[in-house]
Amino acid sequence: MGGVDRNYEVGAEISPLVKQMSQEAINLFEGSTGNTGPSQFTDEETARETLGTSGTVASGRMSLTFAIEMLRRYFGGEIYNHTGFVDLRFLRPVRPGDQITFTGKITDITREANGSRVSVEIKAENQKGDTTGIGSGSAVVPNAYLPVED
Amino acid sequence: MMDESEKILLDWDVLEVGETFDKFEYVLTQEMIDTYRKGVMDPDASFPTIAHKVDVRQYNAKYRDNGSVNARCSFYCYNPPVPGKKLIVTAKIADKYLRRGKNYIVTEAVSVDEDGRLIDRVITHELKQPNEVGKKWGE
Repeated sequence: MGGVDRNYEVGAEISPLVKQMSQEAINLFEGSTGNTGPSQFTDEETARETLGTSGTVASGRMSLTFAIEMLRRYFGGEIYNHTGFVDLRFLRPVRPGDQITFTGKITDITREANGSRVSVEIKAENQKGDTTGIGSGSAVVPNAYLPVED
Repeated sequence: MMDESEKILLDWDVLEVGETFDKFEYVLTQEMIDTYRKGVMDPDASFPTIAHKVDVRQYNAKYRDNGSVNARCSFYCYNPPVPGKKLIVTAKIADKYLRRGKNYIVTEAVSVDEDGRLIDRVITHELKQPNEVGKKWGE
């Protein structure tokens, strides 16, 4: 999983995550539930009828998954998988063939009862530089991981 | 699951915020997890429940409409699900709103496993005029 960065500081950028979208990946995501019927995600004709697009799009939930992956890699699974949160707004469709880059920056660190909530702003951009999603995420980290307060 | 013809045609104006759907149960298999991880290209992905779209599943089982587009989604991680365990999902209509003349509904679901472990919470804002995507981003 790689090393976990525990140098939490407002303004710090977290390691970006790049994903290459493909129809195969979308089909696997959708099919992982056992549902193999046509949808706007897997079938061009259904996408044209439902969305009016020229082809399929990826579910926003795939972008949500990628944002979660970026934050899990940053905070570590032992923290993020139990205290993690992400909130993403989908601004443009993500299509097969797109390369999406997720970036994040720490915006706030707030003391809570069981540690400190480290908040991160999130942005997703495609290969053209268009923003496909924005949002935020957070996790509660032990205060022992933070610099000692004066 | 009901036939399409038996479902209620969505009337956004009368849809009640707070409507709670019948519980939905399913078993998350190792095969489902493996397929999900391949799809998202992450061998450590811990919440394959995301792909199951459980927050809108019972809505879609009860209502029929013109489809939807996911406009916003929030996800709370509590405990990664364990393969082979039954998951019990409680979903409701958490909110609805009109923005720039377009109708949205907000669904919320909480998943718990058969041992009572809290798994996750998902909140989704769905635009109920999916052809708006084509109008704006058609090509």
